[in-house]
Amino acid sequence: MNAALLVLVLPLSCALWLLLLHRRAAWLVLLVNTLTLLAALQALRSVLQQGSQHLQLGGWDSPLGIGFSLTPLSALLLVFSALLHLLVSVYAARSRHSQTRDSDFWPLSCLLQASLAALWLSTDLFNWYVTLELLGLVAVALIIIAGPRAHAAALRYLLLSLAASLCYLLGVALIYGEFGVLDIARLGEYPFDSRSSRVALWLMTLGLMLKAALWPLHQWLPAAHASAPTSVSALLSALVVKGPLFILWMLWSRLAPADAAQQAGLLFALAGVAALLAGGWAAMRTPWLKTLVAYSTVAQLGYALLALGLLLHWQDPGLSVALWLFVLAHGLAKVSMFLAAGEMQATLGSRRVLALKGATQTMPLAMFAFTLAGASLIGLPPSGGFLAKWVLLMPLLAEPQHWPWALAVLLGTLASAAYVFRVVVLSFDRAEPIPAGFSTDRFAQWLAMLPALVVWGLALIAEPLLRWLQEVPW
Amino acid sequence: MSQTALYLIAGLALWLIGLHGLIVQHYALRRIIALNIMGSGCFMVMVALASRVQPPDPVLQALVVTGLVVAASASAFALRLASSGKPEQDE
Repeated sequence: MNAALLVLVLPLSCALWLLLLHRRAAWLVLLVNTLTLLAALQALRSVLQQGSQHLQLGGWDSPLGIGFSLTPLSALLLVFSALLHLLVSVYAARSRHSQTRDSDFWPLSCLLQASLAALWLSTDLFNWYVTLELLGLVAVALIIIAGPRAHAAALRYLLLSLAASLCYLLGVALIYGEFGVLDIARLGEYPFDSRSSRVALWLMTLGLMLKAALWPLHQWLPAAHASAPTSVSALLSALVVKGPLFILWMLWSRLAPADAAQQAGLLFALAGVAALLAGGWAAMRTPWLKTLVAYSTVAQLGYALLALGLLLHWQDPGLSVALWLFVLAHGLAKVSMFLAAGEMQATLGSRRVLALKGATQTMPLAMFAFTLAGASLIGLPPSGGFLAKWVLLMPLLAEPQHWPWALAVLLGTLASAAYVFRVVVLSFDRAEPIPAGFSTDRFAQWLAMLPALVVWGLALIAEPLLRWLQEVPW
Repeated sequence: MSQTALYLIAGLALWLIGLHGLIVQHYALRRIIALNIMGSGCFMVMVALASRVQPPDPVLQALVVTGLVVAASASAFALRLASSGKPEQDE
C-alpha cells in the first residue's frame, strides 16, 4: 500500500477501533501517531524521488471511484499535520493540566488527522465537501470536551460551519450541473466565464472563507478556540483552519479565469490587511489569555490571505511559496503558543492576561516558549515567520508601485508586535510572592518549547528550503 | 417554463429562505430547522440538475444520498448539543 494512504488509514482504523471498544488508550494513539509520521515522511521521500502520483482507491476510475493525488505540497502538509498531531498528543497524555487525558480526545483526534489527510490528498470538489464536513463535526466534538461552559460557542461554530458547507455544496452542484465533472484537473480545462459558474465559484469561496475564519467572517473563531481544552485549541488553530484555505487556494489558482482572479485577488488582499489590523487590535485589548492567542490566529490568517490575494492579483505563482511558508510557520508557532498559554493559565490559576505578571520568574520555560513563538509570529529574524515574510516582501519591494502593500505588511507586523509585547512586558514585572506548594510541570513546558525551536530551526535550513519550494511544481 | 427549471428555482428559493432563517432566528432549534431547509433546497437543486438528462445522472443522485447522510448526522449532533445546555446548567 502506498505510504500516503497509510497516513489516512492508520488514524482512521485506530479511531474506529477505540470507538468500538470504548477504550481511551493514549499509548495506542501515540504509537499510531508515530507510525503515521513515519509513513508521511516516506510519502514525502517517494514524491521527491518519483514526482507527483495519482492514486485510485480500489482500482475504481473517476467519477465513481475516489481519486487521490500526492503532490510535493500535499506530502509536505501530511508531514506537517502528522508532526503537530504527535506533539500535541504527547502533551495531552503527559501534562499534569491536560483536560483531555481521559476523554474522547483520543479517538476524535485520530479522526481529525484522518480527515485532514483525506483533505490534503483529495482533488475532487465533492470529496472536499465530505472532508470539510468531517473536519467541522470532529472539531466541534473536540471543543465540547471542555464541558458545558463551551457548549454555546461550540453550537455557534457548528451551525455556522454547517451553513458554510451548504454554501459550498450549492456551488459544487451548480458547477457539476454546468460542466459535468468534479475533478479539479479536468475542470481546469473549461472556461469559467458564464454567470452561473462565477456565482458557483463565489458561493464556494464564501463557504470556505467562513470555515477558515478569514476576515470578515471570523467572529466565531475566538470564542470557539479559546473555550476548547488547551491541546484542542492548538490543533484547531494550527491545522483545522488551514484545510479550507488549501481548497480556496486550489480553486482560485486552478479554476478561476485570469480577469476574475485579479479582481478577487484585490478583495482577498484587502481583507487580509483588514484581518491583520482587526485581529491585532482585538488581541491587544482582550483581557483573556487564550482569546488573545485566538485573535492572533485571525490576524495571522490575514498574512496568508494577503499572500493569496497578491498571488491572484498579479498572477504570480511564486507567492505560493510565501503562502505555504506562512501556514507552516504559523502552525508550529501557534501550537507552541497555545500549549505555553494553557500551561501557564492552568498553573497560575487564572484565565486572565494579567495573571502572567511576573511569569518570567515563576514559569520561565513556558514564558520563553511563548516569547519565541510570538517572535516568529511577529516575523523577527531568524525564524520561520521571518522567512515567509521575506518571500512575500521581495516582490513588494522590487517595484515602487507595490510599496503601499509593503506598508500594509509593516502595519501588520506592528500590530502583532503590540500584542506579543503586551504579554512579554507584563511577564517581566515583579512576581507576586509564590504560594507554598507551587510547582511547575517541566516536561509540559519543554513540549511547548519544542515547536517554537523547530520554527526557529527553519531559518537554519532557509536556503535549501526556499530553493526546494521554488522548484517544486505547484 | 419547463419542469426542471421550476424545481431549480424552488430549490434556490428554499436555500435562500433557510439562509434568511439562520441569520434572523436566535433560538437554536429554529436555526437547526433553518439549516435543514437550506440543505433540502440544495439537494432539490441537485436532483433537478440530475433529471435534465434521460436517464437521470447517477453521479448527482449518489452525491445527494451522501449529502443526506452527512446532513442527518450533523442535525442529530446539533440537536443533542442544543438540548444539552439547559439541564446541566440547572444542576
